[in-house]
Amino acid sequence: MPNKKEKVITRIQELESINLAREEDRDLVVQTKKEVEKDNELLALQINQELRKNNIKSIDVVGAIGAGKTAILEKIVEIIASKYRILVICGDITTRVDADRIQSHNAETIQINTGRECALNAYHIYQIIKNKDLKNYDLIFIENVGNLICPSDFILGTDKRIIIVSITEGEWVIEKHPMLFKMSQIAVINKIDLAKRLGTNVEKMIDDAKKINPNIEVITTSAKTGENITKLIEKLEL
Amino acid sequence: MKEKLEEIEELVNEIEVDILKLQSLFSNFLKKHLKGLIIENYIGEYPTFMEPVILGEKVKIGDDVLIGPYVYIGDNSEIGNYAELSNTIIFDNVRVGTNIKLDNCIVTKNCKLNFNNSNIKNCILKGIANSEKEVLKIYF
Ligand SMILES: Nc1nc2c(ncn2[C@@H]2O[C@H](COP(=O)(O)OP(=O)(O)OP(=O)(O)O)[C@@H](O)[C@H]2O)c(=O)[nH]1
Ligand SMILES: [Mg+2]
Repeated sequence: MPNKKEKVITRIQELESINLAREEDRDLVVQTKKEVEKDNELLALQINQELRKNNIKSIDVVGAIGAGKTAILEKIVEIIASKYRILVICGDITTRVDADRIQSHNAETIQINTGRECALNAYHIYQIIKNKDLKNYDLIFIENVGNLICPSDFILGTDKRIIIVSITEGEWVIEKHPMLFKMSQIAVINKIDLAKRLGTNVEKMIDDAKKINPNIEVITTSAKTGENITKLIEKLEL
Repeated sequence: MKEKLEEIEELVNEIEVDILKLQSLFSNFLKKHLKGLIIENYIGEYPTFMEPVILGEKVKIGDDVLIGPYVYIGDNSEIGNYAELSNTIIFDNVRVGTNIKLDNCIVTKNCKLNFNNSNIKNCILKGIANSEKEVLKIYF
């Protein structure tokens, strides 16, 4: 009988060689992951069809923690709330802080607390949409959970995706996180009001985004001063 | 909100449930009176909540649970691992087993769903049941 310590060591050696799944479970793990992705895509497609059928424009906002996703949405909503009937779905690990902030600008909001999950997925959005009378809306924004990694695994069925980073995350933030830039149509570099003070190389950030995705439109904004917010609204064709 | 809940509770406890009246009270409660995210006092490990969701006192929630949209859960109720609840009222002191999915349901006070892996829709659930067959279901 090997003692407990030896057993642990053997198991760790096993794990090193098999990438965290037992040999016999490997296929199942791979298969399950593929199926989850496929199901998510299926639901996303369904969401997109439903929204289009009801003439609803939809935009999904992803980006780094604290980059200014909510602040920018507040500004946008403030300007266009008289023109559209807006629903904003906010994803956060916990709290209703973001939904409350946006709601104060006359948009209906729904908060989703993902708990231990680091991104919204199409099933969340599908459940919300299924239970809403879509005739009451012209425009849906979805603010994803703040991070530059997980949301790339789950498309949400929106017409457009915008990605927001900010000056304060350092000029390398874009080149270090290429995935979401590949799958977004507009890249926003926010907190431009701080650029001088921090000496950030904004041109490098713009070049990096273009290098990763030549089709992406890049715009620098400040949710604090309102700089380029109307330009962003134009780019969103709103 | 409490009054509306009491009205529904009274109705589902009658011997002959007035289904039409219940349907209108139920959907009115979910869509008009249930609002926001009131989840301060639950016991559990960060489930997913899609609002509106209102939890009573000391609700116990298992792992990987998905709650909402349109869910009320009463005091001292217990939701098992992997459960999924939407468009549902759960009254006080209820138990929902592992991997049970409820949509458009009302689970009455003290009801125990002591079984696992079920998908139940569009009904009132009553009784103490160790298998799905044993639950008293009234469809609406
Ligand atoms: N100076 C400056 N501060 C900003 C700007 N935009 C946002 N902020 C501030 O940055 C902080 C984070 O902004 P949020 O809007 O909460 O960022 P977020 O991306 O929604 O954050 P999470 O949802 O938590 O990931 C807040 O204190 C904002 O006031 C900006 O353009 N300039
Ligand atoms: Mg936010």
